[in-house]
Amino acid sequence: MSIGTLDATAAYGRAMNALPPMPPLEDENAASPAATGFGGMIESMVGDAATSLRKAETASAKQVAGKGDLVDVVTAIGAAETALDTIVAVRDRVVSAYTEIMHMQI
Amino acid sequence: MDLKTSIGVSASGLRAQSLRMRVIAENLANADSVAKTPGGTPYRRRVATFEAEVDRSTGATRVKVDSIVPDKSDFNRVYQPGNPAADAAGYVLEPNVNNLIETADMKAAQRSYEANLNAIEAARGLTMRTIDLLK
Repeated sequence: MSIGTLDATAAYGRAMNALPPMPPLEDENAASPAATGFGGMIESMVGDAATSLRKAETASAKQVAGKGDLVDVVTAIGAAETALDTIVAVRDRVVSAYTEIMHMQI
Repeated sequence: MDLKTSIGVSASGLRAQSLRMRVIAENLANADSVAKTPGGTPYRRRVATFEAEVDRSTGATRVKVDSIVPDKSDFNRVYQPGNPAADAAGYVLEPNVNNLIETADMKAAQRSYEANLNAIEAARGLTMRTIDLLK
């Protein structure tokens, strides 16, 4: 007998409905709803990186137009690179932790 | 993190030294700029002076160009009766720019700029290596 993918999905769906709803993963002491838990941290990190990338872009565009300061471009791109590298490293860590959990024998 | 601040401080050094370099370039370019009228003053050599400045947001001490001050030393008097800027005795006042001094100054600016570049490179390398610990 073979178990199709759809059968398994349907079974998971039934099991999910049978279970009581999961409690929300929220910390009551947190100040703002956006900065709660791991998702919030990632969100703020990505936001920061996007801001620094945008700054780097603006500085480069100015430099190309001949109105910028080369030192500004270098520092802005350096900051953007650092932010992006940090996010990528953290994401890799998260993904490897997730795959490790997925490979866990139940 | 302080490494980011140190990059900012080094960047202020780069800016200051590039301005100093600009002043030196102006001095060199104007080494022969004499007055248009007889007895007028020629180009006067200028010097950039630096100043330490505390950046309130980070508490780091940056460098900034305080002012560009004129060099008060005497002009060179050269006998050139044919020059339109010559006075009644035939002497022309030439700028107080000494090529040798400017060259030495330029080398100092260059070395200082390079030192700041190296500091930026070192700080960035340390940051990257710290991030690599996560990987």
